[in-house]
Order: sequence, then C-alpha cells, then structure tokens
Amino acid sequence: MLRRALRLRLGQCLSGRGLGTYRGGSTLDCDGKVSKIKKKIQSIFPGRAWSPLYDTSHLPPERSDVVIVGGGVLGLSVAYWLKRLEKQQGAIQVLVVERDHTYARASTVLSVGGIRQQFSLPENVQLSLFSAEFLRNINEYLAVVDDPPLDLQFNPSGYLLLASEEGAAIMERNVKIQRPTHSSRQEGAKVCLMSPEQLQKKFPWINTEGVALASYGLENEGWFDPWCLLQGLRRKLQSMGVLFCQGEVTRFISSSSHMETASGEQVTLKRIHEVHVKMDHSQEFQPVECALVVNAAGAWSGQIAELAGIGTGPPGTMQGTKLPVEPRKRYVYLWHCPQGPGLEAPLVADPSGAYFRREGLGNNYLGSCSPTEEEEPDPGNLEVDYDFFQEKVWPRLAQRVPAFETLKVRSAWAGYYDYNTFDQNGVVGPHPLVINMYFATGFSGHGLQQAPAVGRAVAEMMLEGHFQTINLSPFLFGRFYFGEKAQEHCIL
Amino acid sequence: MLKYIIPTMMLMPLTWLSKNSMIWINTTLHSLLISLTSLLLLNQFGDNSLNFSLTFFSDSLSTPLLILTMWLLPLMLMASQHHLSKENLARKKLFISMLILLQLFLIMTFTATELIFFYIMFEATLVPTLIIITRWGNQTERLNAGLYFLFYTLAGSLPLLVALIYIQNTMGSLNFLILQYWVQPMPNSWSNTFMWLACMMAFMVKMPLYGLHLWLPKAHVEAPIAGSMVLAAILLKLGGYGMMRITLLLNPITDFMAYPFIMLSLWGMIMTSSICLRQTDLKSLIAYSSVSHMALVIVAILIQTPWSYMGATALMIAHGLTSSMLFCLANSNYERVHSRTMILARGLQTLLPLMAAWWLLASLTNLALPPSINLIGELFVVMSTFSWSNITIILMGLNMVITALYSLYMLITTQRGKHTHHINSILPSFTRENALMSLHMLPLLLLSLNPKIILGPLY
Repeated sequence: MLRRALRLRLGQCLSGRGLGTYRGGSTLDCDGKVSKIKKKIQSIFPGRAWSPLYDTSHLPPERSDVVIVGGGVLGLSVAYWLKRLEKQQGAIQVLVVERDHTYARASTVLSVGGIRQQFSLPENVQLSLFSAEFLRNINEYLAVVDDPPLDLQFNPSGYLLLASEEGAAIMERNVKIQRPTHSSRQEGAKVCLMSPEQLQKKFPWINTEGVALASYGLENEGWFDPWCLLQGLRRKLQSMGVLFCQGEVTRFISSSSHMETASGEQVTLKRIHEVHVKMDHSQEFQPVECALVVNAAGAWSGQIAELAGIGTGPPGTMQGTKLPVEPRKRYVYLWHCPQGPGLEAPLVADPSGAYFRREGLGNNYLGSCSPTEEEEPDPGNLEVDYDFFQEKVWPRLAQRVPAFETLKVRSAWAGYYDYNTFDQNGVVGPHPLVINMYFATGFSGHGLQQAPAVGRAVAEMMLEGHFQTINLSPFLFGRFYFGEKAQEHCIL
Repeated sequence: MLKYIIPTMMLMPLTWLSKNSMIWINTTLHSLLISLTSLLLLNQFGDNSLNFSLTFFSDSLSTPLLILTMWLLPLMLMASQHHLSKENLARKKLFISMLILLQLFLIMTFTATELIFFYIMFEATLVPTLIIITRWGNQTERLNAGLYFLFYTLAGSLPLLVALIYIQNTMGSLNFLILQYWVQPMPNSWSNTFMWLACMMAFMVKMPLYGLHLWLPKAHVEAPIAGSMVLAAILLKLGGYGMMRITLLLNPITDFMAYPFIMLSLWGMIMTSSICLRQTDLKSLIAYSSVSHMALVIVAILIQTPWSYMGATALMIAHGLTSSMLFCLANSNYERVHSRTMILARGLQTLLPLMAAWWLLASLTNLALPPSINLIGELFVVMSTFSWSNITIILMGLNMVITALYSLYMLITTQRGKHTHHINSILPSFTRENALMSLHMLPLLLLSLNPKIILGPLY
C-alpha cells in the first residue's frame, strides 16, 4: 500500500510536469523526494541507525575504541595492523578521521615514492626491509574478496647514493650497518660499494668527478605508486570493518590526575576522553569517546599534539617538550630529456643533495633537491618555485649527468615533509604524560617507505605494551626531553 | 507491606528535596535502612505464606527476591555515582527517581496477591527501565536496544493479559491464595494449549528463553551500570517468579507442553555459553552468561519437581548477586579505560590487586564453585533433570565445563598477563567500589552458611 501511494504521488508529479522535455531545476524534484522518503522510512526500521531528530549518518560514531587522527598511509597502516593483530575478529573498533578525502595536500600521494634500505640507523634498515617484503607480497596482505589485485608498479631499480671524499668513510660505516652481520639474526640489505671506475663502467652516463664512493642497493629498493598503496589499504580496511570519517579534529577533552613517581616528584598525567571531530563547511561536530588516540596527522602532527596539551608547560620539563614535527615544503620536478639515462637508471642521489629517478618509459625523470636551512620555502601553501630548479637543482644535475644539460621541465608539484626538526627520524609510541596518545609521525620524507613496518610496531605497542618484532625504542617521544638524538644521516 | 512501600515512596521527596551534596548519601543510607527492614520478611510461617493484607502477601519464594530487590537499590546508587557526577542536578535527581520508581514497582510485583495487579506492576517495571536505558546509556545503539527490550517484553506479555482476564472470568477470582485451592486440572484441548502458551510466553521472553533472547545482550550492553545491575539481578527473575506462580494453574498440560521449551533451554544454555567464549566485549560476555544461567532456571521450573524448584530459587538469588557484581566490576573497568573491549585493559592484577580479588571471587561464584549458593542451585537442577531424563546430564556437564572455561577466560584476560601501556596510570580503586563489591559478595558468602532461606517454598 505504501508503494502504491508512492507511485501515485510520482504519477501526479509527472503529469504536473507536462510532456516531453526535462527541464533541469524543476521545483517538483519528485525522484529526489521519493528517494528521500524511502531512505527515511528505511532508517526507522530496527537495525538501522536512527536518530529521531535529524540525519546523523555523516557523523562519526559516538564512541570508538581507537581514533586515528590522519588518514594517510601511516594512519591506515596502524589501523590495518591493529585489525590484523587483534586476537579475535571485531574486537577493537577503529575510527580513522581524515580531513581531506581527496588527499590534495597529503604527503603520501605527493611523494616521490621511493623505498630504500640505505640508512644509517639499523632500526630504519629493518623497517624498510619489512616494508619491502610487505610491498612485495601486497596481494597477500591486502587481499579483498572479489576485488582485483593491486598493481603497485614497483620498479626495483635500486638507489645509488654517491659520496664525496669527506663522506666516503661515513658511507662505508653505514653500509656495514646495513649489511647483515653474522652475529645478529636479522636480515640485512644487499648493498654493494662501487669505486668510481666501476661506477663509470656500470652507468656510463654518470660523470664521476668528485665521487669517491658509491653504494648501490641491489635488492628491495626502488620506487612504487603511493596512491595505489593508499587505495589498497583503504579498501582492505573497509572490508575489515574500520570506520572512516571525514572531519577535522578540533579539540581533545581530557582529564588530568596528579601522581608521584617512585622518586617522589610530582607529575600530571593526562588522559584523553573525547575527540571532537568537526564536519566540513559547518559548525557541526561530534564528540567521539575513545580509549586510545593515534596521532598520524603527518605534517600537521604538531598542531594535533598542541591540541592535546603536549608542550604546554615550562620549557625544559617533560610537560614543556613540544612535538618537534613541522611541515616543510619540498618540490618535485618532472622533466623530459631525450638523451637521458636508460631503463637501468636507479634513483641517483648526488652528494650535493640533488636526486632524480626515471619516471615511466618516455625519457621522463623526477627529481629535486632538499633545500638548506636558509633556503627553506614557506610552508604556507603548495606553490612551486621554478627558480629553485633553475638555480639549485639543474646545475647539480647537469654536473652529475651531462645529458641533463638539455632538459625541459614538464611540470612540478610541491608536497610537505612531516619534518622532525630534532633528528629527522620518526616518532613512535606513547607520550609519557598524555597516557593514551600514540604517535606515528615525523618521518621527514621516509614515512611512506617505512609505513607498513611502523604501523605494525605502533599496533604492537598499543595491543601488547612493548615492541615485539622491531624494537623502535630509540624512536620514542622521551628522547626529545632527554636529548638523545637518533640522528639519521642519509636524508634525501 | 506498607512499611516497605511508604518508605520507598518517600525516598522520592528525599532525593528532590535534599541538598546538592547530600543526595547520594541520603538516598543510599535510607535505601540501605529499608533493605535492612526487609529482613523481617524472613519470618515465614511453616508452609503457609505471610499475608499482610488482601492485596499483598509474601511467601518463601518471593521473600528472597524481595530482599534482593531492596538490597540492590543502595548498590545501584553507589555504582551510578561516578558516571552521573558530570550531569546536572535535575538529571541526577531524575535518574535516582527512576531507580526508586522501579524499586517501588518491583516490590509491588513480588508481593502482589491479585494476578492482574501483578501483571500491571510487571508491565510498569518496563517504563523506568526503558527510560534508564535510552536516556542514560552510552552509545547510539541504546535507542535500538531500548526498542528491542520494550517490544519483545511487551509483545510477549500481552497474551498474558488476555489469559488472565479469561481465568478471572472462568474461575471467578485471580487472588493467588484462593487460586491455589480452587485450581482444577486443565483438560487437553487446543484452546488450553494456547492458554498455556499465552501464560508462559511473557515469562519466557523475560527470562529469557534461548530463541527469544535477542533483546538481552543489547539491553545489558547499552544500559548504564544501574540499568545493567537491575536488569541482570531482578528483572530476569521476574520471569522466573512469574513462571513459578502461573504453573500452578496450568496442570497437567505442562507435562507435554513444556517439552519444546525444555529442549530450547537445554540447547540454548550450551549455545550461549559457547558464544561467551568468543566475545570480545566484556559486558556482552556477562550478558550471554546471564542467558545461560537463566536457561537452567527455565529447565528447572518446567520439569516441576521439588528439588528443581529449590534449585531454581537458589540459582535465581545466586545469579542475581553474581551477575550484578560482574557488571559492577566491568563498569569499574570501563570508567578507567573507556572501552569495553577486554583486550585493551589487561593485566589489571598488578595494578589493582584488591579489585583482582573481587574479580576472582566473582568469577569463581559465576562458575559455581562449591560451597557457594550458585553450586547449590546448579547441583539441584542437575540432579533433578538427571532423574527426569538421564541424557540431560551430558548437556549439563558440558555446560558446567564451558561455564568454567569462559569465566576463567574472562578472569585471565582482564587480570593476568602483561598490562597494556596505557593503563599504567589508571586511578586506584575507590572505597566506594570496594564497598560495592563487598556488599555483593558478603550476602553471597553468608548465604552459603544458611541456604535454606533461599531454597523456596518446597524446602
């Protein structure tokens, strides 16, 4: 009877509209109204979410066990491993809050997409190794029933880091750290050191002037499509029951309690009770009651940490230690060079800081250079400065690869590094004073390549209380207060 | 009976007229005093019942349930103090008024002589419970839970109204004391079958019977702590009490009519126990464990032997105290960690050892450890079902094993193991919480010294 009534109403609407042409914007929007009525009736039946006053389907749920602030690759990786490592299916409710679902300014999708194991800290090497294995087997990890397999477009071309005279000793030391040792049971990276003559023979297009040593990653290094990884993770998470919400975190409601440490000093511990998620283009917000909060907001992690009250306190104390992650703008330029290096070209990193890699099969190349501290561009917007390319990047590239003297810039974009001003390495693990906030941020340009492993480490920390597979204790928050730098020297 | 009803009614002006700082103290203290006066009911005369007036009576079946009801109000008030501390004053007073109203209706239900009066009060208890669940529950799903709760119990009990009016017309009176002596055996016919179903379904839904139990996990999980406590401890027992009273009128067709429900309960008790093993949500686990225990009570009441009635009554009281205590423990967890998931709050024994002791005692009584009254109840039920049919002992034995499994699983997951990082700064146990647990445990342990008061009218 209801359906007959609806059809009757529809018939009246049609006859009212007259014959023939459909005019857009008619006031009798019958189809829209009918579907709205049907949706309203359906939502009243038991089993559906129904609020008697207004439609709340766009709001996040009122409570969630874990709220992950930031839907980039690190946040999604933490969500994935939380759902994977929970003992029983459906035990933990996870909510991922992402401000911009087009990912227009997210570091993940604007990144060059490289993965390497050539780091100076053994933890970084382990993280990248596991991530490489994850990416290699991505269709086993992120398989969703009835969906096509992912094609990451992984180019295993390797990284070629060049070192001048001064840097040669450091490079040798780093390679020793990266390679597997007989005593440790951990795997290592396959890296080979090359002299300038070997370099010239292998890559004839390189000008080896000023190069004393080169390290070339033979396996598990290269570059891939970060957008594909992000979509694969989103798809898998939706199938595992993680809730996604579009909104901005504007406030944390927390409670403090004063406690004494074993040595008798007073500390104030904070616990976040609610996360206020504000919807786009409106003042509407939803307080989400949560047990744990993960700060994976990338370049804006510093702001989120400030909202939680981290760093508000006299400087020099643990309360006053801010999260030293800030957005730093980095450019990426795409150019065409018909006589450039061929298909075997790895991602080459010059000792001066410039780097480039092949992009696609049409003699296109991606590359850039990290600016020095004085030349840091203003991170307020993502405008590209082509003069930077002309003055800083091109001369260095042309000096290293003579074929690049005749190149033509096709396009460029800019993205943010979630730059850790302390030691350019990531921050993982809980905050010592804000008990239920965990960090997974601050990776300063190598976050994408370490995301799967970091996600697993943070999930282990949340579920078990300690790192189980890779020990990331040098990356805990406490090092900012104690001043123990875990400095990464090989930053691109 | 007025000596209980009037003080309970006067608790309401007490809440509304007390000073802000005194509402909790006043109401808790006065309801505790009322519960102490309820012990007067234990002075039962032999086989007969204690008749207060034409409208109220209490016998050894309703006495322990009444004492439990009145004991539970101060406990509910103590448990709700924390989560209501953030509400404004009028809301707090409204909540306490709902609890007092519920208490009033429950007292009148358990002591009603006239069955229509019993029915009216039975239905009236739904209203404050619904208000407590839907207004003060924690999640959006509480609206759904309230809907399920209301409509399941309402739909189940409407046929009861029809049946009661029919009995009034045919027998002339629905006064229970008179009915005991006027009852005639019911011949077997289709209409009597339907009347049997009409009478029993209301209480089956309330117990709940396994096939009709969908409302219980929802309502228990979404309700605030006081709602969960009263639901688990008393409202489920309303079904048992009603069944015990109404089966008096339904002989001898109960002999064959009860078969499908006995089968459903026996099967359901194993099924719900097994579901408990797979639960990740702590309150949900305790809710399903309630279903499992109540299934035992249904079986006991339906086979209608003296020992099974004794076991059913004992089990109802024991389960009331144990389940309510488990919900209080789960709530103390929830208030600290803000999550009901068991794996997010583990290893609590090292941080809160006294609370761990309460957890241990509650889990041990839940799995019917001797010499607690839980064991007495279960043992009597097992023995009587064995004599009714030998095969049921396999099912009962399996149920006891699975009950032990999930009780210990719950204990070990929440208490043992290495604690997760974010709980190393939880607040220590409040005196209020410890008092709450001990006030649950003390009657339970003391009753094992003198269980005859809870063994019901057939002792």
